[in-house]
Parts: sequence; structure tokens; C-alpha cells
Amino acid sequence: MKSISLYEEKGSLLNKLAPESKILYIIIALLLPVIMGSRWVSIGFIAVSFFLLLISKVLRKTVPILSISGFVLLTVVIIQGIFRAGNVTPVFAVGPVSFYKEGLMFAFEIVVNVLNILLSFCVLILTAKPSDIVENFVRKGFSPRFGYVFISVFQIVPQMTETMSTITDAQRSRGMETEGNLLVRIKAFGPLISPVVMSSLINTRERALALEVRGFNARNKKTFLNDEKKCGADKYIQLGMLAMLIAGIVWRVAGWR
Amino acid sequence: MEQKNILEIKDLHFSYNKGDEILKGLNFSLDDRTTAIIGQNGAGKTTFVKLLKGLLRPTCGSILFEGKDISTMTVAQLARHIGMVFQNPNDQIFKNRVLDEVMYGPLKIGMSETVAKEKSMAALELVGLSGFEDKNPYDLGLSSRKLVAIASIIAMDTKVIIFDEPTIAQDFYGKERIKSVIRKLRSEGVTVITIIHDMDFVADVFERVIVFAKGGVLLDGSAKDVFADEAILKEAYLEQPNVTKLCQNLGYEEVFLNTDEFVTYWRKKTG
Repeated sequence: MKSISLYEEKGSLLNKLAPESKILYIIIALLLPVIMGSRWVSIGFIAVSFFLLLISKVLRKTVPILSISGFVLLTVVIIQGIFRAGNVTPVFAVGPVSFYKEGLMFAFEIVVNVLNILLSFCVLILTAKPSDIVENFVRKGFSPRFGYVFISVFQIVPQMTETMSTITDAQRSRGMETEGNLLVRIKAFGPLISPVVMSSLINTRERALALEVRGFNARNKKTFLNDEKKCGADKYIQLGMLAMLIAGIVWRVAGWR
Repeated sequence: MEQKNILEIKDLHFSYNKGDEILKGLNFSLDDRTTAIIGQNGAGKTTFVKLLKGLLRPTCGSILFEGKDISTMTVAQLARHIGMVFQNPNDQIFKNRVLDEVMYGPLKIGMSETVAKEKSMAALELVGLSGFEDKNPYDLGLSSRKLVAIASIIAMDTKVIIFDEPTIAQDFYGKERIKSVIRKLRSEGVTVITIIHDMDFVADVFERVIVFAKGGVLLDGSAKDVFADEAILKEAYLEQPNVTKLCQNLGYEEVFLNTDEFVTYWRKKTG
């Protein structure tokens, strides 16, 4: 079964860290630039994220994510660079269109922020298993029922895709055309979707029964099958990041700027 | 007796990912004998029948249906000639009337309303579901739903019918039904192929058995010859049918595939 999670176990340092450390990293990567009010902080975090992804050997997996958002960002740069209100200082011209400094600076800020958000989330998503993230939350008091809902998405979606492809095969075997123009595809919709819905309903009932049989709603304290994902360094990393956050706040409040 | 080849498989290779070959050069032909393809999970059986149906395309080699390469036909076109009953009937049933469900395929391959209805009624009768035409398929039990799925393929009047694990979720009565359906199809000249794990069922109705292992054909012959070869079956992680095993352990030289065969032999012997 194909997984929809982007996570891959590479045995890297970041794989070993607790998911909370990475979540904390996202928080400070997003908060510190705001608190300190400097885009250089964001650029610094982009560099750190790049470095972290590189040593975790998952930098290549960010390429599709970055190229899709890169396309959007490119349009931002073009639109803002040419049309932003308050554009006065031309920087360069491509044919008859000239780009202005103010718009480009504004676009640059957006690009930096988006990249920072994307890359810091990549650090979490590409190096932490979804079920580990949720399990650690449940350990900290998050409701196991909601935890299950989150984890089950990662199981049910691939399962549904698989069912969908079997159903497509079964209907094509009965002479149904699934490829072609829009009309053909619309006609194919009914025979394809109803078995998916029916079997999902049946599956849901069975899943509920199976869960209940294994004591899903039992009120006892629950134990965990997997060991908690964390290592010795986690405590120091988390403390270090909190210290950075506090230092940032103090720096801003003290008004050294 | 000269057999007419309906399907010819020539040097068939297939892989989902490069370097990980699932089928490693199959060469054989299928005729109008009922043929069971057996083998351990992952031996390539399902991949093979998907190739027969055109749902997958070979990476190398070809499949000829009545002398014509099937790669020139679309899946929908091929559906006129080769039918396949999927393992889980829930994967195909979408109409809320049994008759509509069975008529869907015949109509799709271009039969007229009258012919489609005629064929569908006949198919339903064959699987023993006459009188259920107006029921909702989902009100029937799983085993009857499977029979609906079987009827919906039979009604398409194809030259070849592939059954994917027909005996799953079937009780004794259901299995007997399916056996009689297969015999009837055989007598009408339809080529029946199945992929299956139920050896007793194979021993009862199938004339030819092909053993798949690791993407190749390990053994190919009459049911009797194949099931006699305990050593090779073991190599493919397969078991002999129960009757065969019992009689062999009792020390009989002959190979018996089912109880009837043994009883006939015994009666003759003891007079």
C-alpha cells in the first residue's frame, strides 16, 4: 500500500529526535522573526532548515514542494514588482515593463516568509512519522479518540485509493470507458463512486466493531505499543529553543533597537 | 485431440518497478479446457490475469487472443471477448436492482436491450438467482452477491471468463453452484480460467492446472499429473487436494482427485 505520508526513515539525527522538538522548532522559526522584527532572522532560519534537511538526507523531497510554491511565488514577484501601489524607483526593465524597487522588496519579504514556513514544516513532516507525532501528543494528554482519527486518515486514504483502482479495473472489465472526454468521464462517475461509498460504509462499520472489540472506549489508563520517540538530546534542544525565544522577547522589550 | 488455442502467451514479461520483474517470460497457450492457475501469494497470478484483461500492459512480449495481439485493443473492447469476475463483488456492484446490475455489462458492450435482458435472465438462472431480479444486491448476503457478480460477467457472453478466487466466502451450496456454472460454461465452449487457492475445488472441476512460482511456470499439465507431484507442489508452497493426500497416505499407487473418483475405483475393485 502506498503511503500518503512524506516521512521516510533514514536513521538520521532528526529521525531520532522527538516530534515535539521539531514542532517547537517550527514555532520559534515562525515567532522569532515576528518578535524581533527582522527579515534577517527569517533568512537565518531558512538557512538552518536547509542545513537540517540536508543532514537528514531529505532535501531532495522538498523539491516538488518548493517548485509548486516557487511558481506561485514567482507570480507574486512579477505582480508586486510591476504593479504594487507606491512603486516609484525603477530597478530594471524587461522590454517595455519596468520592475520597481518597492514592489520587489515587498515581494522579497513575502518569499522569505513563505520559504521559512514551508521549510520549517518540512523539517517536521519529512522526518517525523505521523503516528509518532500523534502518539506523543496522546501521551501528553491529547484525547486518544481524536488521536486515532488523525492517524486513521493516513491508513484510510491509501486504502480508499486502492479500492478505487480495483473498482475502476472491475468496471473497465465490464466494458466501461473511463478515459476520454469530459462526457465519458462524467458517465463513468456513478459506476465508480457508488461501490467506493458502499464499501467505505461497510468498512467503517467493521472498523468500529473491530476497535470496540479491542477496547477502544475502555476507561482504563492506556499503554502504548511503541516506545516513546525521543532521545537524550531532546531535553537540551527544547530548553535551548525556549531560551532563544525568551532571549528574543527580552531583546525586543528592552528596546535595544 | 488437437486443441484450439484461444489465448497465446508469448515471452511475457512484466514489472511494476524497473529491475523488479514480476513475470519473467511466460510461454504457453490456453485452450478451451478449464484451467486453474495456482501458486503462492506473490507468484504473479493476479498480475498475469490483469495482463490478460489488458488492465496492465506487458513490459515485453505479447498476448494473442484468437491470433490477434490484445495490445491493439482497449480494455473496453477486450471486454467483449474476455470477462473477469473480481474477487470482491462489492468492487463492481452499483445498481440497486440485481437485473440492472447484470445488464450493465452486456449493454456496455453493445448488446440491444432485449438481448441483454435475455442473456441476463439466463445468467441469473444459471447461478440460481431467478426470482431475485428486483432485489437490491446489497440486501443479499455476500455469497449471493458474488453470484450476482458472476452472472453479470456470464451475461456478457464472452469467449473467455476469468474467475478470481471464486470460492471465497462460499459455503458448500455456493461452491457446488459455482462448480455447475463452470461445467455449464465449459459445455458451451467458454474457456474458463481461474486463479485460486482452494485445491479441492480445483481437483473437482478443472482439467488443466498451471503452477506459478516466482514469476514463472513451475508445472503445467492435467490436474491429475500436477497434483501427483507432491515434491514440486511443496516447492511452490502448495498442498495436494485432501483426497489425493489421503489416498497417497493410504498407500494407493493411483492418483485420485476427489471422492467420486475414488469411490468409483473402489466399487470397481471390490465388485
